[in-house]
Amino acid sequence: MGDLYREQMLEHYHEPQNYGVLADAEVDVHLDNPTCGDTIHLTAQLDDEGRIAKVMFEGHGCVISMAAASMLTEAVVGKTPQEVAALELQDIEEMMGGLRLSMGRVKCALLSVNALKKGLKERGRL
Amino acid sequence: MGWNAEDIRREFPIFSHPVHGKRLVFLDSAASAQKPQVVLDAITSVYATSYANVHRGLYGLAEAATERYEAAREKIAAFIGATDPEELIYVRNATEALNLIAYAWGREHIHAGDRIVITEMEHHSNLVPWMALAREKEAELAYLPVSDAGELDFAALPSLLADGRTRVVAFTLMSNVLGTIPPAPELIAMAHQAGAVVVVDGAQAVPHLPVDVNKLGADFLAFSAHKLGGPGIGALWGRREILEAMPPFLYGGDMILSVKKHNATWNDLPYKFEAGTPAIAEAVGFGAAVDFLSSLGMEAVHQHEQALVAYALERLPEVPGLHILGPTHSQRGGAVSFWLEGIHPHDIASVLDAEGVCIRAGLHCAEPLHARFGLSASARASFYVYNTTADVDALIAGLLQVIALLRR
Repeated sequence: MGDLYREQMLEHYHEPQNYGVLADAEVDVHLDNPTCGDTIHLTAQLDDEGRIAKVMFEGHGCVISMAAASMLTEAVVGKTPQEVAALELQDIEEMMGGLRLSMGRVKCALLSVNALKKGLKERGRL
Repeated sequence: MGWNAEDIRREFPIFSHPVHGKRLVFLDSAASAQKPQVVLDAITSVYATSYANVHRGLYGLAEAATERYEAAREKIAAFIGATDPEELIYVRNATEALNLIAYAWGREHIHAGDRIVITEMEHHSNLVPWMALAREKEAELAYLPVSDAGELDFAALPSLLADGRTRVVAFTLMSNVLGTIPPAPELIAMAHQAGAVVVVDGAQAVPHLPVDVNKLGADFLAFSAHKLGGPGIGALWGRREILEAMPPFLYGGDMILSVKKHNATWNDLPYKFEAGTPAIAEAVGFGAAVDFLSSLGMEAVHQHEQALVAYALERLPEVPGLHILGPTHSQRGGAVSFWLEGIHPHDIASVLDAEGVCIRAGLHCAEPLHARFGLSASARASFYVYNTTADVDALIAGLLQVIALLRR
């Protein structure tokens, strides 16, 4: 469990990448996890080929949800919406440096990717 | 009298197993308590020596099972001061007991325009059943508020009772989040004077302090075995005249006297409310758990926990940016909830877990109460008979580690 708070995770938590709101973004979505109070506001822009060009997020929550969101904003650049839709828990764990998440923390890690999927769906990209 | 928490700890086999290589510091007994060896032995011995279905068989083994099942009922009734064991109904847990009341009593007695009074510090199990009943019957659900200090503010109760519309007042005898112990005798006297029925959620209080239904004076008391060292079973105590006038909650075997094709008559108390094969070994384990607590003495249990709470309340402020929810005097229960500035409670629990310290993080099944304090979650440490001041020290050390790791 101490593994959860390894340096890479803490760096993303304390200094999140792509934190903020992307102006005039095509994807603009809010998602929260009511059982633990984590919230995320995610914005994303797609390029001419329909691939993810830039993602930004803001929100608050635990280390897992915030670090996962920060890492996601880097990991999905260049992916198609279909590739994003295909991301599963295992991929997110891989993205987080091969973490094994306990049952209780899975929802935290998936908040940002689920937000992105929801936002892409809302825009008819999925 | 001498209270030796280390000796008591040794009665619980779980503490002989380290967690993540560390001494287990279990601070989540408000959710569910650990089990002493005597309870495990009692359960095993039912299956090993005297198991059969109760109230049915005409052979010796069935009689032995029935005797142990009923002997446990007598012990549990006596544990809460009830003189009539037939007023003690076995249920799955306090939640089922409260649902039983809301369905079987509530549906008969609550009508459109009636009022149900509960408090802001209720566990969802003493809140959502009343909410559902109020919706179904078009009744009003009113809340007594909680003060900033975490005390029950019942100044509004007289006016809620004055118009004669309040049929039931339901409240917890000890908050599972704040540890607050409301002035039950006062509330009950006021409610009764206005002709309201009083439902008390004893899930947190019964395991931790002496509760006597005669002194309490309520009409119903719900509690769980698993929070007092027993297995997954619970009990509902109710006044005989009210229970007898109520329709059954669940229908099936054992709760009937006679069944024809188009009508049936109900069995006597308590069986009217115990449809189907009950949790027989669990009931016997429940009896063993109350025996264990009685041997310690409930007054001594309460004093031990108050001493631990006092120590925790003294030490927790050493943690920078820590805020305690609920009363900061020690005349309270052993559930101490808190939050840390800038750190999510889930992270607190995960970091502490690595140190062998188990606490609860989240809403503790009390979302309206958290909303009242503007929180989306909190952390909670709760104490029981096996906890020691060393456990509080481990909590404080762990919290300082959380801050070192996560606050920048």
